[in-house]
Amino acid sequence: MSEMWINMGPQHPMTHGLWNLRVKIDGEIVVDVDAEMGYLHRGIEKISEDRHYNEVITLMDRCCYVAGMAWEHLYILAAEEALHVTVPERALYIRVMSEEFQRVASHLMWYAAFVQDIGLLTPFLYGMRDRDLILDLFQSYTGGRMTYEYMRVGGVRNDMPPGFTDRARKLCTWLIDRFKEYDTLCLASTIFHKRCDNIGVLKAAACRKHGVTGPMLRSAGVKADIRKDRPYAAYDRVEFDVPVQQDADVTARYLIRMEEMRQSIRIIRQTLDWLDAHPGPVIAPQLPRWLGAPYAPIGNEGYLLKRNYPHGLGFSAIEEPHGEALAYLVNDGGEHPYRVKFKSPVFANISAVREYVVGYHVADIPPIMGSVDICVGEVDR
Amino acid sequence: MSTPETSSRPPNDNPILWVAKPLLTAAKQFRKSLFRPSTIVYPFERLEDPKFREEVAVAAGKPIGIGAVWDNYRGVHALNIDTCISCNLCAFSCPDLCIDMVNVAGGDPKHPKKCPEIDYGKCSYCGFCSDACPEGCLTMTTRYELSVTKRADMVFSPERLYQVYEQKLPMNPIRLERPENEDQILLDPPVCIGCNACARDCPTKCITMLDIVKPTAAPGEKMPKRIWKEPVINDSDCVRCGTCISVCPKECLFWGTRK
Repeated sequence: MSEMWINMGPQHPMTHGLWNLRVKIDGEIVVDVDAEMGYLHRGIEKISEDRHYNEVITLMDRCCYVAGMAWEHLYILAAEEALHVTVPERALYIRVMSEEFQRVASHLMWYAAFVQDIGLLTPFLYGMRDRDLILDLFQSYTGGRMTYEYMRVGGVRNDMPPGFTDRARKLCTWLIDRFKEYDTLCLASTIFHKRCDNIGVLKAAACRKHGVTGPMLRSAGVKADIRKDRPYAAYDRVEFDVPVQQDADVTARYLIRMEEMRQSIRIIRQTLDWLDAHPGPVIAPQLPRWLGAPYAPIGNEGYLLKRNYPHGLGFSAIEEPHGEALAYLVNDGGEHPYRVKFKSPVFANISAVREYVVGYHVADIPPIMGSVDICVGEVDR
Repeated sequence: MSTPETSSRPPNDNPILWVAKPLLTAAKQFRKSLFRPSTIVYPFERLEDPKFREEVAVAAGKPIGIGAVWDNYRGVHALNIDTCISCNLCAFSCPDLCIDMVNVAGGDPKHPKKCPEIDYGKCSYCGFCSDACPEGCLTMTTRYELSVTKRADMVFSPERLYQVYEQKLPMNPIRLERPENEDQILLDPPVCIGCNACARDCPTKCITMLDIVKPTAAPGEKMPKRIWKEPVINDSDCVRCGTCISVCPKECLFWGTRK
């Protein structure tokens, strides 16, 4: 009778958000785990049904507080498909650039939190410092540091300020040098390897069984990336590689994310070159009025509108920093979406927790769960 | 059930390097931080200070600050009451419903001027209101310090927003362009009763009531009871706020494209 259940969460440094990992332990060995989610449910899908198409964007930033731009992109792609809106090419490239900067920022945030979980405080400070530079860059063209409200149905809100691409290129150079330092601080240290090697193993078969995506899937040797498999925006026009590792453990996930950041910088440099060479409009010229700048009351036209404006369904899938995120949107012709549904990658990644935590020590749980890169804001929405 | 195994990856042979290499990197960074701190001493130094406003070379010098583009920050609103036309577009566009239109001094006592009052307890600083403002009188400034001790202090009256405007803080220079292909407000003439409500409430006074010919009634037919006037809308002055549509008692105004 030495087995007992303990709660790791909802307020535990390991959880990185509000969720609860119930752990059944036998001495130091984990026998069973049970993830409880739902502490952060805000009803974003339901609130979206009562908002104009552009106003939903304010909610998307709150979906995932470290990858707001990716979630804006996800929603916007679905909304544009449902509303039959064509986007100017420059806006597509700006979105790709924004999403990739967001991926680097999200991975830096993950890096900072993860190394802190395994007891390294110095890399934490470096990760946060460099992430702040990306937030500064976001602020320079969106006006917000975490809640951007930048993308609009039909394009993006505004074009880049003068001198933006030069600043962004300097930042890319700065970041590429820092990635080397991160590897020195972590991979060169045997202490890091002793804590991270061969724990949290989740092989490809188990990933497929639970719908695990993103860096966790790629660390198991599966070359799956929505940016390659089902290109959206301008991803079919940029060159990049999908990193793959075979070990499926915590170190492999670390290596995957580090390589993804380098590939993101590679994509950003290509988009910056394109943006320099191709000025143009960033928002579609022909938009329904309730998607334009003045959000005026629609009056008694509302029900007429539902009859006249073409209905539509929108589906989008993007490679979010955490994995594959999906959105489904129904347009019944009105000024609000009829139904919005999101699928979060982190929900699937946490749901498979029994497969990759059971059997290891209690002290292994923080590095394992840290390597999953949990954002509870998008799990519960 | 799998159990933890020993490392399959070869560790560094030299145990001194285990610790020495990461420590060396940290020491390098520490030496840099003596001369190039990555942080600013916040209450005493601020990002909006002039010394941080010039273009900061990210990779070459201090990796802090974003120079002149700090102006893009979406902070507390500034309201120029003098140019506000009370069109209500900011309140309509607010996703959080934190904007109320309240009476301000001046104007016609029967139909007083209304200006936005913003509850910062609800505001999410999305900037939709300043995007929607047709006159550019409601803008967002770089002010970000908003600590108050009472909830009532979070509500900024138009006068208080005007005080922010008078501080002449940097305003967000990037404004959303209004689309050129805007719809116009059309009239359904047989339904109109000529009541003047749209012309009375139009914030830009772009609606004029013009006389129309009173038709002669056929014998036995009853004439509709109405004022024989019809609104004529000047599209170039119209800001598309939809106030006329909201106030029309017969719902005879609607959005559409004028042929």
